[in-house]
Amino acid sequence: MKFLLRKVMLYVFIAWAALTLNFLIPRLMPGDPLVLLMERTEGRLDPGALEAMAEAYGLTDAPLVVQYWDYLSSLVQGDLGLSIGYYPVPVADIVAGAMPWTIGLVGVTTIISFLLGTGLGVILAWRRGKRSDYVLPALTFLNGVPYFWMALILVLIFSVNLGWFPVANAYQPILVPGWNPEFISSVIYHAILPALTIVIGSFAGWVLSMRNMTVTVLGEDYVTMAEAKGLPRRKVLLRYGARNAILPSITGFALSLGAVVGGSMLTEVIFNYPGVGYTLFQAVQNQDFPLMQGLFLVISLAVILANLLADIVYIFLDPRTRAEA
Amino acid sequence: MKLNSLWPASGKVRAGLIIVIFFVLLAVFGPMITDYAPRATGNPPLQPPSADHWLGTTQTGQDVFSQFVHGARVSLAVGFIAGVLSQIVSVLVGLVGGYFRGIADEMLYILTAVFLVIPAMPLLIVLTGYLPTRGMISVAIVITITSWAPAARVLRAQTLSLRNRDFVEAARATGESRMRIMFYEVMPNALPVIASGFLFSTIAAILAEAGLSFLGLGSLTTVSWGSMLYFAQNNQALLVGAWWWFVPPGLAIAIIGAGLALINFGIDEYANPRLRTGKSRRKAARPAGRGSAAMSSTAASAAAGAEASSSSSGVSEGSLGGTESTETTDDDASPPQIRGSEVPGDPVISVRDLIVDYPTEDGAVRAVDHVSITLHRGELLGLAGESGSGKSTLTNAITRLLRNPAEVSGGEITYHRSTRTGESTEVDLLNLPAEELRAFRWSELAIVFQSAMNALNPVLRVSAQFDDVLRVHRPGMSAAGRKELAQEMLHKVGIDPERVTAYPHELSGGMKQRVAIAIALVLEPDVIIMDEPTTALDLLVQREVLEQVMQLREEYGFAIIFTTHDLSLLLEISDTIAVMQTGTLVEYGPATDVYSDPRHPYTKTLLSSLANLGARI
Amino acid sequence: MTTVPTTDAQNGPAAGAGEVILEARDLVKDFRGKRVGLHRQRFRAVDHVSLQLRRGQVTALVGQSGSGKSTVGRLLAQLMPQTSGELLLNGQPITAHRGRAFIRYTSTVQMTLQDPFASLNPVHRISYILARALSIHGHAKGAEEIEEKSLALLRKVNLTPPERYLRRFPHELSGGERQRISFARALAAEPQVLLADEPVSMLDVTIRKEILDLLDQLRTEENLAVLYITHDLGSARAYSEETLVMYRGEVVERGSSADVIDNPQHEYTQRLLAAAPNPRRRLSNPGEEFRG
Repeated sequence: MKFLLRKVMLYVFIAWAALTLNFLIPRLMPGDPLVLLMERTEGRLDPGALEAMAEAYGLTDAPLVVQYWDYLSSLVQGDLGLSIGYYPVPVADIVAGAMPWTIGLVGVTTIISFLLGTGLGVILAWRRGKRSDYVLPALTFLNGVPYFWMALILVLIFSVNLGWFPVANAYQPILVPGWNPEFISSVIYHAILPALTIVIGSFAGWVLSMRNMTVTVLGEDYVTMAEAKGLPRRKVLLRYGARNAILPSITGFALSLGAVVGGSMLTEVIFNYPGVGYTLFQAVQNQDFPLMQGLFLVISLAVILANLLADIVYIFLDPRTRAEA
Repeated sequence: MKLNSLWPASGKVRAGLIIVIFFVLLAVFGPMITDYAPRATGNPPLQPPSADHWLGTTQTGQDVFSQFVHGARVSLAVGFIAGVLSQIVSVLVGLVGGYFRGIADEMLYILTAVFLVIPAMPLLIVLTGYLPTRGMISVAIVITITSWAPAARVLRAQTLSLRNRDFVEAARATGESRMRIMFYEVMPNALPVIASGFLFSTIAAILAEAGLSFLGLGSLTTVSWGSMLYFAQNNQALLVGAWWWFVPPGLAIAIIGAGLALINFGIDEYANPRLRTGKSRRKAARPAGRGSAAMSSTAASAAAGAEASSSSSGVSEGSLGGTESTETTDDDASPPQIRGSEVPGDPVISVRDLIVDYPTEDGAVRAVDHVSITLHRGELLGLAGESGSGKSTLTNAITRLLRNPAEVSGGEITYHRSTRTGESTEVDLLNLPAEELRAFRWSELAIVFQSAMNALNPVLRVSAQFDDVLRVHRPGMSAAGRKELAQEMLHKVGIDPERVTAYPHELSGGMKQRVAIAIALVLEPDVIIMDEPTTALDLLVQREVLEQVMQLREEYGFAIIFTTHDLSLLLEISDTIAVMQTGTLVEYGPATDVYSDPRHPYTKTLLSSLANLGARI
Repeated sequence: MTTVPTTDAQNGPAAGAGEVILEARDLVKDFRGKRVGLHRQRFRAVDHVSLQLRRGQVTALVGQSGSGKSTVGRLLAQLMPQTSGELLLNGQPITAHRGRAFIRYTSTVQMTLQDPFASLNPVHRISYILARALSIHGHAKGAEEIEEKSLALLRKVNLTPPERYLRRFPHELSGGERQRISFARALAAEPQVLLADEPVSMLDVTIRKEILDLLDQLRTEENLAVLYITHDLGSARAYSEETLVMYRGEVVERGSSADVIDNPQHEYTQRLLAAAPNPRRRLSNPGEEFRG
């Protein structure tokens, strides 16, 4: 599978680029991060934290290459340095605690929103020119709504005014996390509103792009031929129209996933949802640079992995890419 | 130029422009009409909207309306600056990479991929986290770093398709320099893509700025919509129900986003006529380029648009008159030359006085004008005509594949169905109910399309494309039976039956056309419409495919309507010839008679043109 | 306007009479093919092709798609470098793929392309297209002179009245008109050689003759050496003095057009001629071939 191999190599390179970017940003940005940190925290800082910071940046006057090597070798051991805000908790531990929440929330909502969006897009494409076209401007509006604002409005309506859902947190604070029905139902109950926010914020984009692609594909000769074959409309639409239109949608996954991740991070902040977004927010508030970077790295790697998966799915859906091997 | 020619016709674009202009005016003049400084405290806190404070006040007694209009300046400015900057970067990266190819392109492609895949928001947060100062410009620059990549990728795809267009080659042959070709030939054609990239970068930048400020990472000393939300959130505006504090900034962002996206709709529709609501697909002419599946929808639509605009010229063919229509001007006056057909056998399809119109703003264009033809069982009817003659419209009317806005305004098409007893019942094709039409299709009338390359579904195996016909029309057949039949049909058209598992792209052009013929034959229809089935093929392959068709006709006895612009080919193979010119049937009769004694001036012109071009007529 | 082409070809200068302007010796062009194992396969598109283009004479290069005929055209126009072999312009070996040398080369050798709908940039007016061609080759300076010369060019390609065409966009013109504009653009360089790649294959039959007549007229009036690239043996017979038949990158047959087409020697040429539609075949054996 030459095509697959090329893709894997590209993503390995991108992952490497993300690692390197993460290494370079604090060193290349104007100003000294340590000085910046001291200025902003005005001496509220644990002296050990400052040392940890200095260590994190390898501020040992060693040459950049040596620093880079140290950075990579500690990464391989899963060492992301120590948090400043929660000194001396390792960044890796904090990240590990936050990841499951985000992966659960964003993973499930992204799949729901993709399925919902592409499905609706196909239907709208088939019904183009009819009254259903009038929902397009509304979808466009939805597509432009900032996630965090949508979250605020949903909280205002459903939590503050109606009291249907909790305002914040991922589960009732009095519960002890565990695999028991009480805890799980509490998690689901708390996740509904954040999930709704992300789905509403992201599905419109899928609808619009899928509609456009399907309309384009429906003009192809093979769709006309399918119709001439006397196939039922549903079959023409799904097997010929949507089947081909979904390919670019999967390619566009990279473009959208980054936006969804960014948006869901802000959503987590509103709901005090203990995922990576909320943790990153707190890291920013605490000027916790090592934690910020650790989170950036992990989020990037997760998105890179998701893109690789999308590309593998693409290979299975489009025989033409397989033939290049 | 008249003013109203600048005002777009599309309602969506108008609405978008009105929204954007409104907010720009608000940002420019808003701060002048408010009496309060945005950060001045001292008003009563948390007042709902009133005549004094149009949007109420904050917890510290700041005027929300004043903050809102001042925030508009920051948000729009950041959005605009970042939009322009990221478009400059993406134009350079996309155009240079796409045009020059080679190692530079590989590097730029990978660089684009890196910034495309690494999620923007976390990168943005880390970058701003380290910014020593967070002024408007530096925030805009940081946003640019994280947001140029999607547009660059789309633009590269667009440039790749444009650089292969002939006009680029022609400009090179003329002696134009590379820079000049890139910026004067390629870039103007990519303008729709660049414009829509600009709109999306602007939306993304406004959202990013709001997100950053909301996280407390923006410049907290200037007021922006994001920082308003930050303070509202931090001061529990939600819980005290101060909706006037956080509703306006978010709503404004969403409305501006929608406004910019509406303008983009206009650009998309301009570039890809198929997307127009209310218009249908066929009108937009040829299908999009083959590579389009790999492009993003914007690029694909731009490519399709470019192609559509080139092929739509078929309508304006000979628009300036003069050089090309001189020979044929007096043909219109000549009456149609209809000769009796001597073809033995019963009629299978008869067309009577068919009229097909394309309504346009300047009245209907008559694409088919009172055409009557009769196809007999086993007959090969050759339908000849040049571009714009209406021959495709005629066959599309017979196959019921006419697209809006084309409509049959008169006449009838009858299919004579033979029953087992040998009698024949007449079927009114134009008024066939949907369910009966579906049953009629392919089992009684099949089609071989002009370009098999586009007529076979690229993602389905050949077997699947036989299968779906058989599943629908022969529901009782077993899977094994279907496969066996598909293989038998492939064998009949001279293709190794093992190739039944192949995908279309694994077959050569001639083989694809044979597969298309095999699929057409699978239900043993009475009639096969062949729409320029050999035009796209090489001469030698064309000859092989033709011989195959003739042999199969011998075996199955189906009738054929064979359309082509190649009259000499029709003279050789067909029983009857119908010549069409601008919607009318000008000559109709047995092929041998038309050949030995053409009566209509247009037929004579065609024949003499062929002779002059060295064809053996 | 022109004499009947067939007689014209017979009465015209015999092959070899005109002065050779552009000559190709042993041109070879390899493209990179699929990678197999460690090395890439090479695909030889043009395989040791030699030809001479003579002043005032049309040479036809005939072949099916994939035969390499268009690649030969692009090599002669120096739009791509050859793998081996050499080009001689007026007897001098020349390589000019970029920069000033290339521009100087294009002022002698011009090329027109197959698809009249794609070869004119849809965003530019005819006036821009002609003005660029004129100013690149320094044949006109200043707006007035450019307009004057542009009008003259349009007249040369029989687009009259020329004023009507100057302000138009390509999409407002028909296929035949666009192909004429392509010729006008090529003539703006005042070239000695015109490489016409399938100039009529995308046009309706009734218009093909007019365009080929124009090509013939330009050859006489401008004394051009013309390479007529086509897939159609019939029109090569009617409009050229010399014909070369290409198959899989090689020239398999060459000679005076009348000889090649009326009395083909190579098996491939014979097959091509046999495959061409021929109503007489049916007439001579009615019913025998297809209907029982």
